[in-house]
Amino acid sequence: MDNNRNNKIEEILGSLDGCHKASMPDFFYTRLKARMENEIAPVATKRSWVLRPAFALTALAVVVVINAAVILKGDTGKQNTSSDSETMQSLAAEYRINDNNAILFDVNQDK
Amino acid sequence: MNELELIQGLRNGDEPAFKFLVDTYQDRVFNTAIGIVQNAEDAEDVAQEVFIQVYRSIHNFKGESKLSTWLYRIATTRALDLLRSRKSKKRFGFMQRLFGDGNEPLHEIPDFNHPGITMDRKENAAKLFKAIAQLPDNQKTAFTLHKLEDLSYQEISEVMKTSVPAVESLMHRAKQNLRKILEKETD
Repeated sequence: MDNNRNNKIEEILGSLDGCHKASMPDFFYTRLKARMENEIAPVATKRSWVLRPAFALTALAVVVVINAAVILKGDTGKQNTSSDSETMQSLAAEYRINDNNAILFDVNQDK
Repeated sequence: MNELELIQGLRNGDEPAFKFLVDTYQDRVFNTAIGIVQNAEDAEDVAQEVFIQVYRSIHNFKGESKLSTWLYRIATTRALDLLRSRKSKKRFGFMQRLFGDGNEPLHEIPDFNHPGITMDRKENAAKLFKAIAQLPDNQKTAFTLHKLEDLSYQEISEVMKTSVPAVESLMHRAKQNLRKILEKETD
């Protein structure tokens, strides 16, 4: 009984010995090319969309606007800087920070 | 066209070189994939993915191994990936059925008949393929490459990036496991 079963198992295990190799179905290359065109072509389409004149001009306009905004902000910044320095000067004058006499005055005052 | 010329042609994006590659290796890739996924349509899908990957990543191929070794490696990896995604879909389907979302019943995959098997061996081969499907991935790969593609242990070790003794051990364990599975089936 066991012998029969073992023989059967060996027969099953040997069933792939000497089998022929499976061949690819016909026209595989045509199907492969079609799939590649579908999968790879969209990348090219995306790139060409980026290079379209309308997109390029819009991108250029955005860059010009950003530059103009930065330049204008820079001018305002300069104005702010001058008003800031005025404030600092008035503060320094008030507390006599840059005034050498102020130190002397303070020293004399201690005396 | 020798292998170096072929690789150079592929790197240059030559279509004749790519066609030559497909014509030369399509049967080997298909036969390897069909042994693992056990379905002709899925095996063709895997083969398409293999050649697309080769087309895209030929610049990364360093030429340290043979082109055929690289192709076998991609084919086995892709085929095993497909099995994994099939398993996770099956699990998801089971969960859906469990929670009452999916009304469709789950069907068992029918017995696989390899096209290269003669009529008198078809029944036994179908049982063996059913058992092969239950093997761990590395044993399944080694067994399929050896039995269906007639690769030597040396060639299998190069495909699997391992040593020859490791392949011998994989084959020994694969046969032991297959015997156990078949014993259960025949009880």
